[in-house]
Amino acid sequence: MNKTTTPSAQSRTARRSLLLLAIALLACPLLFAAGLQSDDVDGVAILPSSVELFGPGATQRFLVHRVQLDRLGERIQKELTFEVAAPGIVKIDGDRLVAVADGETELTVSGPYGSATAQITVRGVGEPQTWSFRNHVQSVLAKEGCNSGACHGAAAGQGGFKLSLRGYDSHGDFAQITRQANGRRIVPTDPGRSLLLLKPTQTTPHKGGQRFETDSLEYRVLSEWIAAGTPPPMADDAKITELEIFPKSVVLRPGIHQQIVVLAHFSDGRVEDVTQWAKYSSTSTTVAQVDDDGIVSVVGHGESAVTAWYLSRIAIATISVPYDQDVNPNTFTNAPRRNFIDELVNNKLASLNIPPSSQASDAEFLRRAYIDTIGVLPTASEAGTFLRDQSTSEVKRDRLIEALLNRSEFVDYWSYKWSDLLLVNSRKVRGAAMWAYYGWIRQKVEANTPWDEFTRQLVTATGSTLENGATNFFLLHQDPRDMAETVSIAFMGLSINCAKCHNHPLEKWTNGQYYGMANLFSRVRTKNTKSRELNLVFASTQGELTQPLTGLPQPPRPLDGKALPFDSTEDRRIHLAKWLTDRSNPYFSRAISNRVWANFMGVGLVEKVDDLRVTNPASNEKLLSALADHLADNDFDLKALMRTILQSVTYQRSSKPLPSNAQDARFYSRYYPRRLKAEVLLDAFSQVTGAPTSFRGYPEGWRAMQLPDSNVNSYFLRSFGRPNRIQTCECERTAEPSVAQVLHIANGDTLNGKLEAKNNYLKTVTEGEMSESQLVEDAYLRALARFPSDRERGKLAAVLSSVAEGEKRAAIEDLYWSILSTKEFLFNH
Amino acid sequence: MLDVTGDASVKTCDGISRRDFIQAGTLGALGLSLGHLSALEAAGKVRHGHNDRSAIMIFNLGAPSQLDTWDMKPGAPREVRGPFQPIKTKSSEFDICEIFPGHAKHADKFSLVRSCYHSAAAVHDTGHQMMQTGRLFAGGVNTPHVGCALSYLRGRRTDLPAHVLLPEPMGPTGGDLPHGQDGGFLGKAYDPFVLNADPSSADFKVPDLLPPEHIGEARLARRRELRSIVDETVENFEASENAQLMDTNFEAAFRLMTSAKARDAFDLTKEPEKVRERYGKTRFGQSCLLARRLVEAGVRFVTINTFITVFNEITWDIHGSRPFTSIEGMRDIVAPMYDQGYSALLEDLSDRGMLDDTLVCNLAEFGRTPKVNPAGGRDHWPQCWTSYFAGGGIQGGRVVGASDEIGAYPAERPVGPPEIVATIYRSLGLELETELPGPQSRPFPLVDYGTSAIDELF
Repeated sequence: MNKTTTPSAQSRTARRSLLLLAIALLACPLLFAAGLQSDDVDGVAILPSSVELFGPGATQRFLVHRVQLDRLGERIQKELTFEVAAPGIVKIDGDRLVAVADGETELTVSGPYGSATAQITVRGVGEPQTWSFRNHVQSVLAKEGCNSGACHGAAAGQGGFKLSLRGYDSHGDFAQITRQANGRRIVPTDPGRSLLLLKPTQTTPHKGGQRFETDSLEYRVLSEWIAAGTPPPMADDAKITELEIFPKSVVLRPGIHQQIVVLAHFSDGRVEDVTQWAKYSSTSTTVAQVDDDGIVSVVGHGESAVTAWYLSRIAIATISVPYDQDVNPNTFTNAPRRNFIDELVNNKLASLNIPPSSQASDAEFLRRAYIDTIGVLPTASEAGTFLRDQSTSEVKRDRLIEALLNRSEFVDYWSYKWSDLLLVNSRKVRGAAMWAYYGWIRQKVEANTPWDEFTRQLVTATGSTLENGATNFFLLHQDPRDMAETVSIAFMGLSINCAKCHNHPLEKWTNGQYYGMANLFSRVRTKNTKSRELNLVFASTQGELTQPLTGLPQPPRPLDGKALPFDSTEDRRIHLAKWLTDRSNPYFSRAISNRVWANFMGVGLVEKVDDLRVTNPASNEKLLSALADHLADNDFDLKALMRTILQSVTYQRSSKPLPSNAQDARFYSRYYPRRLKAEVLLDAFSQVTGAPTSFRGYPEGWRAMQLPDSNVNSYFLRSFGRPNRIQTCECERTAEPSVAQVLHIANGDTLNGKLEAKNNYLKTVTEGEMSESQLVEDAYLRALARFPSDRERGKLAAVLSSVAEGEKRAAIEDLYWSILSTKEFLFNH
Repeated sequence: MLDVTGDASVKTCDGISRRDFIQAGTLGALGLSLGHLSALEAAGKVRHGHNDRSAIMIFNLGAPSQLDTWDMKPGAPREVRGPFQPIKTKSSEFDICEIFPGHAKHADKFSLVRSCYHSAAAVHDTGHQMMQTGRLFAGGVNTPHVGCALSYLRGRRTDLPAHVLLPEPMGPTGGDLPHGQDGGFLGKAYDPFVLNADPSSADFKVPDLLPPEHIGEARLARRRELRSIVDETVENFEASENAQLMDTNFEAAFRLMTSAKARDAFDLTKEPEKVRERYGKTRFGQSCLLARRLVEAGVRFVTINTFITVFNEITWDIHGSRPFTSIEGMRDIVAPMYDQGYSALLEDLSDRGMLDDTLVCNLAEFGRTPKVNPAGGRDHWPQCWTSYFAGGGIQGGRVVGASDEIGAYPAERPVGPPEIVATIYRSLGLELETELPGPQSRPFPLVDYGTSAIDELF
């Protein structure tokens, strides 16, 4: 679909559609959860609902959408009639309103689904049109890709002409265009002969090809700006204050094409339709794609965010495409709920028409909760006791959750997890310092130190690397820039490193903010001692980090927080820590909530968990916000968050898919099976066989999950995806099975070695008195935390009893090999 | 439009469960062996493959400096031309750097493309993605590695996997992004078989290829019987991609384990010592030798990572300062090892008459800054570098494209990563518009429409 085929429609409502929404919500609380199945239409909405046009010839695109239940449905383009109350003020041209004369009026749209009204204000029609460098010329250059990284926005420019990436440096770009190359890029007396116009129109050879025609708006903007005497960017230029996108959230079907409309609000009160200047991208191109004109094509089911970028601002539209399948609406209204998680997950599932799987059995829950919470399997007796407990499921599951949260293995498991995050690695932090670093983390986990307190202590740590282990966090990075990047990614899930050289192209972070953040660390000093392991970390009262772009230091300022005065002698990290862990900092609570959630659910609400960009929204934004609020309300008590997750119906769902939710991998309609983590799997092999793994330098019986350090040689851990702890990134860990892993389980010396170990559990069993049937049951409880089915018990026992006496041990090894190499064992499910 | 998204895929394959394979010990019932191309050809949806070539991709992780290797600028100012001199080669068309004398002797067999560039961020990982898959990863679309797409389309020839990666997958290179060395949206079933061992080590063998010796046939049979009973609880997993993958991997693993031919192909002790020494007793050299053996035994595609990471390893990544490599490190360690392995490989392929049917392409993620930096090294520079190709229908001794006077930008015939990848597909006899099933069955052509191979090479 191209631009010329998008026809009619007009204006915007506001109050009216809001009223309709309110009615819809009141009238159909039950249908609300059921998705847009019916043809019931509650009305229409005009987007945007109020239009302001500034200057001669100003235009504004508008969209007319159906409103169904409480949600914005498809765009309506047929059988609409438009009525402008005062036609002398504004006229309608296709899907645009065009300013005619100053004044105020209303646009009313009527059609088969109802009518709606939008307010229209026109101002400044009599004033001359002026193009500003900052807002118009830069927009042309960005939209046409002139200042992209591939062209003149490259670090070295292109063909001797260098612009800042996507135009973040207007003053520099203005000088490049008007002054560099002896000013030959601009011919003020004859604008048409300016290289700035000859090149992109390919009138003279241009490696970048033709970007626009001489009769285009782009050409007009540039030529009129040159003709006006190339007015430079001024300090009092109107600055963009907000970017707005329409529709913000819409429900569509595959095959639909949807025009996106983008408005820029400026500091002088003007609003401009910048749809044609914005740059677009889609987070999930298998659901929705978007072209340069802002037309979204829906290609699949699910949800995608469409991002519009303009003058370093970003706005996001959510495109929801419910699965087209028959689902009884009661499925969602009757779905069990334990807490707010279930409410919000259920709403999302309803909106996408994905039914949830049923609840997991006690045995499934038992094994899963152990693995996710403490990283070990239940013992045979623990499993037996739990499964035989006659209490109601909810009672005994709650009891189990409490017990797990207080187990000593909980400390092992979560210390390991935060050691991954904080890169405890004896290649980098050696010997006693490594132990001090790990010991600090472990102590905090053991005390269930609130996450904000944990973070504050870590970020502001001073003293000896041996006495205050947290100081090693600084020692690992040292460079203020590294510190700024690491703190951002570890505690806020924000990757700011792009802004080191230029404004972040996909985020709001600027080069100035980056250097403000980095300057918070410029006064941290270390003092070496004779020992490699002992260093002192302290804050000096002097020192600044220079921002290369300006040659000056930026005021020490945590990203979008408040700056400290240069002359403040406070340890700047204290200022950072306050801002970082403040309740009003959404990144902090969201990042940790997402990490904890991903641990239990296998898939983060934001994927990857280290990538909380605005342009990478959560699969369920409301849920992530609610989890973050919940955590903050509980004073950042991570156990409280874990308890809420563990108790939720969502967590306790079966991993068995329904035909109608098998496609879902992001909205939690079921529990997603995943291979056990390297360390958990190795420990599970040890536990079931009763043959511990030996790690060099560690006492016998030390589990993989108790290792303080990633720098411990183990073929098994390496090939099953243990992270190296070199970069702060969840991506260091992999859980995907491979042929090499299968070969290792089948033939390698890890599992076979444990099965054959001299004094292992299999020896006890071989020499014991259990019947074949008991032996099978015992093995199932140990490894799978469930009783064998009668069929399994019978068939396996039959194989065992057919074995000659001298072969008993070998047969038991083979039985255990068989159980420990199946998916049911290798996976958490 | 091609329709390859339907019933042929492993995931939707019904009727035969993966368990049946292990229970019955039958192989290849899954459609994995045949590949999807034959079905397409039979349906008249693509022309029959033009040939059945193999390929060896040597990926120079770290990214060699174009100016100190295959595109020297002896006339440029000193801070550009660097410390080395050019030497004559067996091709009348080009000189190369003196630190690669082996290459010079075989220059009639390979051709240079001196005008490669890409326009994504100058981090290693983006170049890895584009040069091995043809696309930058975006919007959740991870295009498969060329060898994985080939493996999907043509399947394996023998009991050996279609695509083998030596010696291990790319590790961290600073960008935290995927490197494009796997099956991408085709799924993990089309990942390469990864060696995960150093073929130059004294006790080299493929890890875990065989059961421990004391587990005899009888016990193996019992293990399989028991396992098939235990593995009946599958309902939880049928929708889990990773769990299905585990089945596929078990199938592939059992096939490898039970094939004598497959085991032999990996056995470097079957080569005379003199041959092993000719390749150099280095990880890279022995990987080249192993690649030749694997191709001889029927492997379609071998990817060799010259290095695994740029951190704390002497590589092509000559920033000049720690933890990266100095230009001397490249001269003294990287170049001799690389030159020896590559020239032995070309020599062998040529002597054995395999070169026409085996493409050897040497790729990297970008070039390096034309000006030597204050540390005496060169930094990342995706605006211009050189790739080269031998065998597989390529005419040797040629130069395609040219860089400007300081090797900073393509001056003629700019070539982007998609064209490099298209050239590999063309050599392998695949139609560029053959479509692969992307996420949610969205079809993706091998390379984006409008991309052509570098036809001047053929």
